[in-house]
Amino acid sequence: MQPTLGLIYLTFRELWAKKVVLGLFLISSLLLVMVAFALNLDVVDGSLAGLRLFGQTPDTVEGLSLERLVFGVEAAVAGAAYWLGILLALFATAPLIVSMLERGHIDLLLSKPMSRPTLFLSHVAGVWAAVAVLTIYLLGGVWTIMSIKTGVWNGSFLISIGLVVVMFGVMYSTVALMGVWTESTALALIVSYGLIFASLVLAGHEAIVEELGLVGSTAFSVLYHILPNFAEVTTMVANLSRAEPVTSWYPLTSSILFGLVAYALATWQFTRRDF
Amino acid sequence: MPHAISVDGLEKTYRSGLFRPTTVKALQGVDLALEPGRVFGLLGPNGAGKTTLVKVLLGIVKASAGTAQLFGTPVTDHQARQRVGYLPEKHTFPELLTARQMLDVYGQMGRVPAEHRATRIPDLLDRVGLSAQAERKIGTFSKGMLQRVGLAQALMNSPDLLFLDEPTDGVDPVGRRAIRDLLVWLRDEGTTIFINSHLLSEVEKVCGEVAIMNEGELVKQGAISELTAVEREYRLVCTPLPDDLSESVHQRLTPLNNETAPDGLQNWRVASDTRADLNALIDTLRAHDVEIEAIDPVRRSLEDYFIDVVSPPAA
Repeated sequence: MQPTLGLIYLTFRELWAKKVVLGLFLISSLLLVMVAFALNLDVVDGSLAGLRLFGQTPDTVEGLSLERLVFGVEAAVAGAAYWLGILLALFATAPLIVSMLERGHIDLLLSKPMSRPTLFLSHVAGVWAAVAVLTIYLLGGVWTIMSIKTGVWNGSFLISIGLVVVMFGVMYSTVALMGVWTESTALALIVSYGLIFASLVLAGHEAIVEELGLVGSTAFSVLYHILPNFAEVTTMVANLSRAEPVTSWYPLTSSILFGLVAYALATWQFTRRDF
Repeated sequence: MPHAISVDGLEKTYRSGLFRPTTVKALQGVDLALEPGRVFGLLGPNGAGKTTLVKVLLGIVKASAGTAQLFGTPVTDHQARQRVGYLPEKHTFPELLTARQMLDVYGQMGRVPAEHRATRIPDLLDRVGLSAQAERKIGTFSKGMLQRVGLAQALMNSPDLLFLDEPTDGVDPVGRRAIRDLLVWLRDEGTTIFINSHLLSEVEKVCGEVAIMNEGELVKQGAISELTAVEREYRLVCTPLPDDLSESVHQRLTPLNNETAPDGLQNWRVASDTRADLNALIDTLRAHDVEIEAIDPVRRSLEDYFIDVVSPPAA
């Protein structure tokens, strides 16, 4: 366990030294301060009596229920964390895998008494841990502040924290695989971002498949089932933030399967190659 | 007791290129056995396969054929590295960490318990002369300081076998002396040391045994004193030779630079085909009242020997 903890700590520290991660932390802090101090709510008997943002009363406040306000704020923050947060987190973490493989660094790590799969997966765990801390800080912070301010405790919002971390993990599996395979940060990011944008097209698979011929629709369906459904999971994050039921968990489970396969391939490649 | 390093028929072929594949044979049937407690130097020109051999022994590169063991455990098993320390030639340490933090992290990865790390870190920093820099970030270190903190890193787990790749490269003479003193101390403590270096004079000062590698093969191996001895040639230090010595005796003695001889004595180079021949010559000199101060086998420098071995024969 000791080598694993050492490597997780090292990865964690390396990541926190990155300016992008520091930027994400500062933006998160700013948002939390805003929600805590700039958003003033007057709650009377469990209902929203008044709302002021930076001292101003928005026109849309009339007829807005307290629950809708809380769910709306939480959904907006979760959506931003999901899209912007994951894209930036991938950008910040992608160079780490390639720098780990640099001569002089990887030699030292491999000379330690730990197996290659342990080494690789510990590194991945370190990256996950750092992103999880950031996500919990932002989303957990918003949830706590909003809940204390309004008395509306939206438990299902907390599941969306897990979704953000898991989907980051799924997309990082591509970065890890491409990083180990090609040792190119740029290529790893291009493939990873490419899959995210491809998922926007895949999200409309039901309508698109109807327009295609047999071969085209079969190929499209295969892609839909084997590639991560990043865009479709957005709906799940939004539903959970609004305390609405999730209609299908399939996009998440198929994405997790993709991630597991990519991590397995990356570990296999890391284990078999020379450095 | 198993050998510290045991290598048998080790081969490594690098392959590259997808459409027009090329192969490079980095190791071609290397055999090596190193007893525990020895200080061993691996020499060779660039591209000879030295680094590949070290990397195979540390599990960084996988052998194409043959076997290698550290203390009887195959190098393919990560447990083989439990008793091993390593300082690579081009190391990259996390620049954001302080020297103390870096040693703590790498000690953790080397399975050193927390309570041992707490005492070992200040001790090692003291040994490499970096006590005052313990809380300084690695990114601000000079090349020599990096080399010394790297050495401390390699010693965190109190290794029984230490691999050093160009340990004094880029280090100033004072730092080099400090590293050499540390290696001598480790040798006296019984640590097996495997040094991969181009600095032959450094190797000569620390190592007892060397091997010379060329084109993926170990071409020479043995104690430095044996390898550098010139066969059946001796240096004789004695009182001045009398004039009545026979011509045949004079023919076998070649004068050497006498500036290095003690006062009133002379240096001679003696060639003799057999031990009996050498003794007969000494008897003749003694019969002529020549007093002998010393007689030693003539040695070449390790550098001369190395160049003889690795230089291609003249056409």
